[in-house]
Amino acid sequence: MVKEYNIVITGVGGQGILTAANLLGWTALREGYKVRVGEVHGMSQRFGSVISYVRFGENVYGAMVPEGKADVILSFEPVEALRYINYLKKGGLVFTNSRPIWPVQVSMGLAKYPSHEEIKRIVEEDFEAKYISFDAENLAKEAGNVISTNVVLIGALTQTPDFPLSPETIREVIKVSVSPKVIELNLKAFELGLKKANSLL
Amino acid sequence: MAKVTDLVLLNKPNEKILLLGNHAIARGALEAGIAVFAAYPGTPSSELTDTIAAIAKDAGVYMEYSTNEKVAFETALSASWSGLRSMTAMKHVGLNVAADSFMSAVGMGVEGGFVIMVADDPSMWSSQNEQDTRVFAKFANVPVLEPMSVQEAKDMTKYAFEISEKYKHMVILRTTTRSSHMRGDVTLGELPEEIINKKRRLGSFEKNPKRFVDIPAHSRNFHPKILENIEKIRTEFNNSPFNWIEGEGKIGIITSGLSYAYVKEALSWLNVENVKILKLGTPFPVPLGLVEKFMKGLEKVLIVEELEPVVEEQIKFWAYDKQLNIPIYGKNIVPRIFEMDTKRAVIAISKFLNLETPLNFEKLEESYNNINSSLPPRPPSLCPACPHRNTFFAINKATKKNAILPSDIGCYTLGVLPPLNAVDTTVAMGGSIGIAHGLSIALNGALNEEIENKKDTQLIVATIGDSTFYHTGLPAIANAIYNRSNVIIVVVDNEITAMTGDQPNPGTGDTPHGSGKRIPIENIVEAMGADFVEVVNPYNIKKTTEVVKKAMEIDGVRVIISRQVCALHRVGQMKRKGIKLPVFTVNTDKCTGCRICINTFGCPAISWDNETKKAKIVPTMCWGCGSCIQVCPYGAFEVAKEAE
Repeated sequence: MVKEYNIVITGVGGQGILTAANLLGWTALREGYKVRVGEVHGMSQRFGSVISYVRFGENVYGAMVPEGKADVILSFEPVEALRYINYLKKGGLVFTNSRPIWPVQVSMGLAKYPSHEEIKRIVEEDFEAKYISFDAENLAKEAGNVISTNVVLIGALTQTPDFPLSPETIREVIKVSVSPKVIELNLKAFELGLKKANSLL
Repeated sequence: MAKVTDLVLLNKPNEKILLLGNHAIARGALEAGIAVFAAYPGTPSSELTDTIAAIAKDAGVYMEYSTNEKVAFETALSASWSGLRSMTAMKHVGLNVAADSFMSAVGMGVEGGFVIMVADDPSMWSSQNEQDTRVFAKFANVPVLEPMSVQEAKDMTKYAFEISEKYKHMVILRTTTRSSHMRGDVTLGELPEEIINKKRRLGSFEKNPKRFVDIPAHSRNFHPKILENIEKIRTEFNNSPFNWIEGEGKIGIITSGLSYAYVKEALSWLNVENVKILKLGTPFPVPLGLVEKFMKGLEKVLIVEELEPVVEEQIKFWAYDKQLNIPIYGKNIVPRIFEMDTKRAVIAISKFLNLETPLNFEKLEESYNNINSSLPPRPPSLCPACPHRNTFFAINKATKKNAILPSDIGCYTLGVLPPLNAVDTTVAMGGSIGIAHGLSIALNGALNEEIENKKDTQLIVATIGDSTFYHTGLPAIANAIYNRSNVIIVVVDNEITAMTGDQPNPGTGDTPHGSGKRIPIENIVEAMGADFVEVVNPYNIKKTTEVVKKAMEIDGVRVIISRQVCALHRVGQMKRKGIKLPVFTVNTDKCTGCRICINTFGCPAISWDNETKKAKIVPTMCWGCGSCIQVCPYGAFEVAKEAE
């Protein structure tokens, strides 16, 4: 049993972030942990930047991961990983979907979207963390539907060194959480994410 | 991870499940045997309201979406007067709407337990201000409970009903965005027989004008009784299961609600032991007997609470009278603005105990700010296919941006952002019409006034949502018509209360108990005597622009109902039914790269391709409304294919 494990999940409203957080929360509960999941609803969700927290262990009370204490950041969109990089602990890990979603201001030419190399450099040099990105959306399509991108990313997350939750428990929670006709699809998405992350680490 | 409704109704006492704070409160209300629930939705309280709506029939509870918080408050209050346990829920600013009845009814007391759930929004994640309901509760002399965990949120709800009934006094359950929207492990309690058997209970009302009619002669008896009651409840709270002393030492920390969680984590992060903690779940009235016991032998004390110094003021007041001569720290080192968190608790406790923080937060913040300032901002935006975007686009086109544009509270407030820039003022629910009318009076004068050397009429176009219109728009529009205002009011009617999660309203006519009566907005404003009434579908941008222009040709209160169902709601329903959406694409031969679509319309599905220097559509974000076809002067958008 870990004393405290902190996951920060980031992305754009509508990408399935709350579902991912909830799934991880139930997994931790099933493994006997004290659990806290923090989320933001309402106006802040409408295609805006979204952060969600999953925490478990003996020492967790609040729903928010303190800055500098996240073991891992799981991001659904590259720039959103960087937006919340202050939560990551030194030597932590960033897993991100590599597909950018441009904010309207970028399309209007009023703001610049940083290059992939720049994002990677900041994470690795300025924050002394590990950065892994891959096209999770493509793997989700391979699994059968782009909606399963969040499950692909959760599959990847399980490959974080010393990740305390067992992939088997996550599979069990997926089986009882999604509607029967998409269980196979989600399990496939989970495996694809898991294998991809394993090959990249 | 079963369905929320199944979890909240799960008849397995002692089972441990993961619940959202607001869902846990719904469960607590059921465990308390609630019979009537009435509310107007408001983030971050809405999941409580929606959960009760979803389980109402299966639990024998009457639930209604009232038209505003004041009506909801009165509905639930009179159910309590009829002997039924009842509840209302609202966001913090909702209590301002209910305040007239709330402040006056305190002294009349309750019969069935009556709990008002009020959800505050520190840091203003989705609100217009940061008011602290605990201050309001103290002002009104209403006890307030504040949970520190999801388990407490459930247990406190039941306790709130018990206290309310025992002292015949209404009780506030105060949450915050964080405690309402955090999930945590919860051990379930027992459900009463009535709830399990879906037995809808009816009450009985006993006339008692001396109690229920607040003419001055009666009301003068209320105030002394209220104060007496509060002192009794204060004593009761000395033994509340939500207030306790833990640890030992000469250093003390007093903390209330969720701040307790941050204090516990901060102490563990700082490796500090030998601290005595007074954990409070009742910030008003503070149990002074417990405080006295806690203070014995302490050399200095820190009070950690979010937002206003509510506990601090009560304790310092008490300490002065007791001539307690030890330092009491509070808002001098704990921030009074924005949300509390572990970092803030660590910094405050480090200052209090002269310790180094475990991380150099200043350095972290500095390097983070450097990065953050270079990132493209991503504020929330109107959804793809959102009809509000089309309405704003049409208003901008028709008025050539020469109008003043008061607006209101809802998704459409996002019209303030570029590229639409179509919101000039917002204040509070229903405020658009009052502000528009006031501007019309100030800038143009009323139509029945005789004004010399009158300047050109300033065009004023207000926007207000359907639910907001019924909420507080009604008295405002009556005022504008009566006082001969000269404004255009566009009701952006997306046939649902969208921002808070698709609740029904009088415009939909649906209720949790079946069909209610639909009240079309056009009938209301016709009956009130508006000078122009027209209904238009904003998915037809040309027609909508023409209707706005037509309204601009006459004087008076002109009402346009721009009606098209919320895209998020519609697309959600289509997806559930397995209906495919068309997806649009850019014909790069026709696209000139003028960016008109991006710079004047701003659909999040339309992006810019840096390589081709042309617009592109992100297929996963396109919800197939086809409005882009009407926006592009070059006919560059076309249907791509059927979506997956």
